Amino acid sequence: MPEAVQVQLKRGVLELCVLALLSRADAYAYDIAARLAVAIDMGEGTIYPLMRRMQSDGLVDTYLVESPSGPPRKYYRLTPVGRTSLTAQKAEWTSFSAAVGVILGDEK
Amino acid sequence: MSRELFLGRLRTGLAGLPPETISDFVSDYTAHFDEGVAAGRSETDVAAGLGDPARLARELKAEAGLKRWEAERNPSAAAGAIFAVLGLGVLDVVILLPILLPILGTLLGFAIASVVGFGAGAFVFVLGAFAGIARDVAAAMLAGLGVMAGSVSLGALIALVTIGLVNALVWYGRLHLKLLKPALEGGEVRS
Repeated sequence: MPEAVQVQLKRGVLELCVLALLSRADAYAYDIAARLAVAIDMGEGTIYPLMRRMQSDGLVDTYLVESPSGPPRKYYRLTPVGRTSLTAQKAEWTSFSAAVGVILGDEK
Repeated sequence: MSRELFLGRLRTGLAGLPPETISDFVSDYTAHFDEGVAAGRSETDVAAGLGDPARLARELKAEAGLKRWEAERNPSAAAGAIFAVLGLGVLDVVILLPILLPILGTLLGFAIASVVGFGAGAFVFVLGAFAGIARDVAAAMLAGLGVMAGSVSLGALIALVTIGLVNALVWYGRLHLKLLKPALEGGEVRS
């Protein structure tokens, strides 16, 4: 079932993707949701529960920035804990995907 | 689905949480609609992108319930966590109940036994000598103390087992929460 595989893969890397986006620049939730929706075809509603969990886990914190249109935007930024977690998860992902790549390459 | 309908269903689904928590969640999604519309999307399109509000609400509520159990270990938080996990629909209630009910019944039985045992111990402690259970006051007090101590340790054991059980359930629910299954499936339908 390729669809099931796809869903499982996305589930696993979603937090890593958010951490990576935030490591480049602070962002507000709509921006994160829109970018991930385009990049890995995520349901946008997924982001909000995830951001709340990451915030309560201490990976990110928030601050308000005045918006040119409408009410102030809640920006997310990485905490030191979030940065450590990103480094660890990234290393794990890199070695895992490299290992999978080797196996897939061998089977051709 | 319009913005009003989406937020209305979300609010309905979140009912039971503290009002300030609900307004936090609702303002998250209100801001999402504002941003989406400002970016030139229709409300229907934004709502479709977000997925089913009832499912989102279940997940948000479950997360809140599990957090509360971790923060305050009391029976009401335990019940909240159990219902939150059940509400996620990841545990099949039909399968779970026949397993869970006898366990809960047994635990309750032992809990009652420990309370009754403590009462009986107290009775022997105070009145044992006069009720003819023990030979003299000292023997009655010692026997009563023994029974009470036994009951307390039984009660403590039951509390530990119960906390362990709820933790296991929360762990199981969290496993599914982290996967964000409902919202993801919402996204799948769209694609």
